[in-house]
Amino acid sequence: MTTPCPYSSRHNGGATGAPAIELKQLTKVFPGSSTPVLNAIDLTVPAGTIFGILGPNGAGKTTIMSTLCGLLKPTSGSVHICGSNAQTERATIKQILGMVPQEPAIYPTLTARENLEYFGRMQGLSGEHLQKRILACLDVAEMAGEADKRVERLSGGYKRRLNMVIGLIHEPKILILDEPTVAIDPHSRSLIHHRLRELHAAGISILISTHQMDEAEQLCQEIAILDHGRVLVQGNVSDLLSMQASETVQLQIEGDPPADLTARLEHIPGLLEAHVAGQCLTVVTVRPDRVMIPLMQAMQDYGLAVRSLSFGTTSLEDVFLSHTDGKRASR
Amino acid sequence: MMDNLTKFWASIAKEARIIGRDHQALFLFFVMPVLFVLILSLALRDAFGDRPGATFDVLMVSQDPGEVTQSIVEAFRSNSHILLTQSNTASEAEARQWLIDGRYRFVVLVPPEATAQAERRLGEIMAKVPPELRMEKPVELVVMADPALRSDFRKVLEGSLDLALHGVEMKLGREQLQQTMRATQGENYVPLPDMEKSRLFEPVRGETVTREGSGPTPTSVQQNAPAWTLLAMFFLTVPLSVSFIREREQGSLFRLQTMTVPAWVVLGGKAVPYFVINLIQMASILAVSVYVLPLLGGDRLELGNAPLALLLIGGSASLAAIGFGIAVAMYARTTEQATSFSSATVMIMAALGGILVPKAVMPPLMQEVAILSPLSWGLDGFLDVFVRGGGVQQVLPEALSLLAFSAVCHGVAIMRYRSQT
Repeated sequence: MTTPCPYSSRHNGGATGAPAIELKQLTKVFPGSSTPVLNAIDLTVPAGTIFGILGPNGAGKTTIMSTLCGLLKPTSGSVHICGSNAQTERATIKQILGMVPQEPAIYPTLTARENLEYFGRMQGLSGEHLQKRILACLDVAEMAGEADKRVERLSGGYKRRLNMVIGLIHEPKILILDEPTVAIDPHSRSLIHHRLRELHAAGISILISTHQMDEAEQLCQEIAILDHGRVLVQGNVSDLLSMQASETVQLQIEGDPPADLTARLEHIPGLLEAHVAGQCLTVVTVRPDRVMIPLMQAMQDYGLAVRSLSFGTTSLEDVFLSHTDGKRASR
Repeated sequence: MMDNLTKFWASIAKEARIIGRDHQALFLFFVMPVLFVLILSLALRDAFGDRPGATFDVLMVSQDPGEVTQSIVEAFRSNSHILLTQSNTASEAEARQWLIDGRYRFVVLVPPEATAQAERRLGEIMAKVPPELRMEKPVELVVMADPALRSDFRKVLEGSLDLALHGVEMKLGREQLQQTMRATQGENYVPLPDMEKSRLFEPVRGETVTREGSGPTPTSVQQNAPAWTLLAMFFLTVPLSVSFIREREQGSLFRLQTMTVPAWVVLGGKAVPYFVINLIQMASILAVSVYVLPLLGGDRLELGNAPLALLLIGGSASLAAIGFGIAVAMYARTTEQATSFSSATVMIMAALGGILVPKAVMPPLMQEVAILSPLSWGLDGFLDVFVRGGGVQQVLPEALSLLAFSAVCHGVAIMRYRSQT
């Protein structure tokens, strides 16, 4: 049973009227490389949303996060956080942002409370206010009982929770999380999701990078799919799902489909696109009603038994796969 | 500014907590250097300085009761460094075996009737018998030395022996002359004056010259205590740089870079606890050298009369070491790189700077090259105080050199840190 979130932001997420994060034509080329890691990215994270950045490894997610925090200088383009320029107003944006790195960035030989106290002081907190914030963060992480244990003796789940709440110690307007639930127990994962929703309800804008499609589907209102340093698609999650769903038919096939199956289906009138992932054949069409009969006939001709068929339903993974050539995704 | 000072103190407290909980590191920081100084000061006790306790076991085998044996015994006994054992029964083979067994470092075998043989030869010389017709050959003593005996000490022993034999020649010659004069001058004979009471030269007594007049000469502990203090200080660059790189690997440094924390707070917060550790190391090594070492049979460390100068040179050396460690940490990508680079560089600087091998025994060219090592500046500063009676003014050049080295290292480190954020 999760207790109510004791976090209440001193900020109102959308009070300034400016987007939480706005990237314009953001390009980053590392010295010695000719290929841009980020290639003219335009991205807008509306204030008060949970925004997911999805993308395979090497897509440029971490580079975007480092640029947002002011740790990397863009080659060209601009980054604005709540209307402040990330390059020229670094001190301001550092106060606005709360960063949660992928790996627990904490001191293992200090206790959870000492870690919170140290990073709190580094954020300029002190005295009674700091002590209140430490207690609030320990409550958010549900680890009041573990507060005085050294971090090295805590489980991976507790470390992840502590890692997250350190990012909240100074009550940021925007929380940035890099893969916050990788390799974590289900209880801690559920708690982190729950707390993120509560933080969102309290007015915090949240930017989360993740590989996990179900996580993005459950948490995010908006997503951007990134690959090879470009934004392939950006939009509201439910819009993207419904757009994809209205045009797709999915068939679960028994046994392994032949490698050239999609090529063999090209002659079916009205079929725009077909791709295979494992034993799942996904067909994109503007007229599913016309495609069904020749599609089933083709399955029979190729000796493939259809175990199940779904029509008009899809997941974020399908959206992701359809935009990234079906590569490198995990569920 | 107040905000940054608060962050600075919080960084110091955090680092002190982390170090305080690493018991193995504390053992290495404080116990190992002290043990090192104790062991080396005791082991090398007799290799330095002019100390009465530095003795060499010398065996003299003689069945000659005459002047030769007496003179050698007298000469050896007057030398406080020689611990003489006499035997009139041991054979040459036995003496050789005792030398090999390490019971004695130096053996002198006087042939039987050595004095009588010397007197007979003197008689022939006084009688102007041509050399080719003389019956008696010069008396030949057998002298054997331990190969581990330092060559300069061996020369001293051989010189003492030669001097004693010269004394015998003089004494026997004088007696022979007196006998001849008594025989030729009869009643007019006037005895020769006693030359031992009417020396032409004052006995040679070297004076040790220091800045404030006479003072103690460097002893083993005066070389070793500052030398190993400096080595311990500079070896702290290894854990210091590793601690930085570990923070980078753990991501906590990245997290700090996302906050409004100036570089000097991050680097200074790390440096101050290590500076305190260095000063505690220095105090403990000096305290052990003053109070514990004498109890174990070693020399007591003479600290001189300038505690402020000691603090100045120790503090400057520590800042130089810390600056070097932080600079290494900023450029090394892995802990392996930092560990191997800093330990190898410190060992080279130590070897060059007279820490491992005292500069006094280096050839002139190496002594000139030694000036390149910051450890050499530190050691010179300590020796200024311990041995040459120097004060703050005398250690100032070395302290300023160390502080300049520290400033360059810190500057390079801060520039690198800023370029990463």
